[in-house]
Amino acid sequence: MTMLGWIPFLEPMNWLQSLWYVLLVPLAFGIAASYKAMRVVDMRNYWRQVGLMTGQIVVVITALAVGLILFVKLLLPLA
Amino acid sequence: MPKQLEQPALRPGAAVLAWILPGLGHIAIGQHRRGLMMMFGILFLFVFGVLIGGVDVVDMKRDRLWFLAQGCNGPIAFLVDYLNQTLLKTAAPATQARLTSLGNINATGTLFIALGGLMNFILILDALGGPDRGSDHPGRRSTDP
Repeated sequence: MTMLGWIPFLEPMNWLQSLWYVLLVPLAFGIAASYKAMRVVDMRNYWRQVGLMTGQIVVVITALAVGLILFVKLLLPLA
Repeated sequence: MPKQLEQPALRPGAAVLAWILPGLGHIAIGQHRRGLMMMFGILFLFVFGVLIGGVDVVDMKRDRLWFLAQGCNGPIAFLVDYLNQTLLKTAAPATQARLTSLGNINATGTLFIALGGLMNFILILDALGGPDRGSDHPGRRSTDP
């Protein structure tokens, strides 16, 4: 019901607070879309390259996050 | 003897256009499709950032360092900052509380726009002194993707 009163672009999406990490996907997509527009040689490959780079960013950052969680939760208590 | 790389002539006009509207510099030098895709990418980050965090995420006065990066998006960043200062910062406390983004949402929205600005800074440099290339088959290194 609170969504009905939401004014896009003026009011923030504070209700997304607990799911903020999902925003990594559009962030990675936006970076890939602008970077590949400059770097890709053949523009016919553009969307494929954007998809590939988006996936790479998401996978690597997720892996770093998992690694950090394991380090903090499992390794640090042993020290 | 190593082959000399050709240094393209600088294009300050295209760089200025690239700041005024992301991608416009490349469109002006004939790289239409590339410029449109650049415009899409940068504006996607900008619009998504404002959508997430509202106009509160662009603040020249309180987040001066972030604005150094955000300002590279062009006049749209200054416009959103103007809206922030006039609509949000001068509003009644109850309205301010409703329109102010909090915690991770504020940080993420700010980050979207700052990263878009930094990406556009690279595109401005490319418009200024990047290689001359056609929109579909540019002449870059053969090892490029």
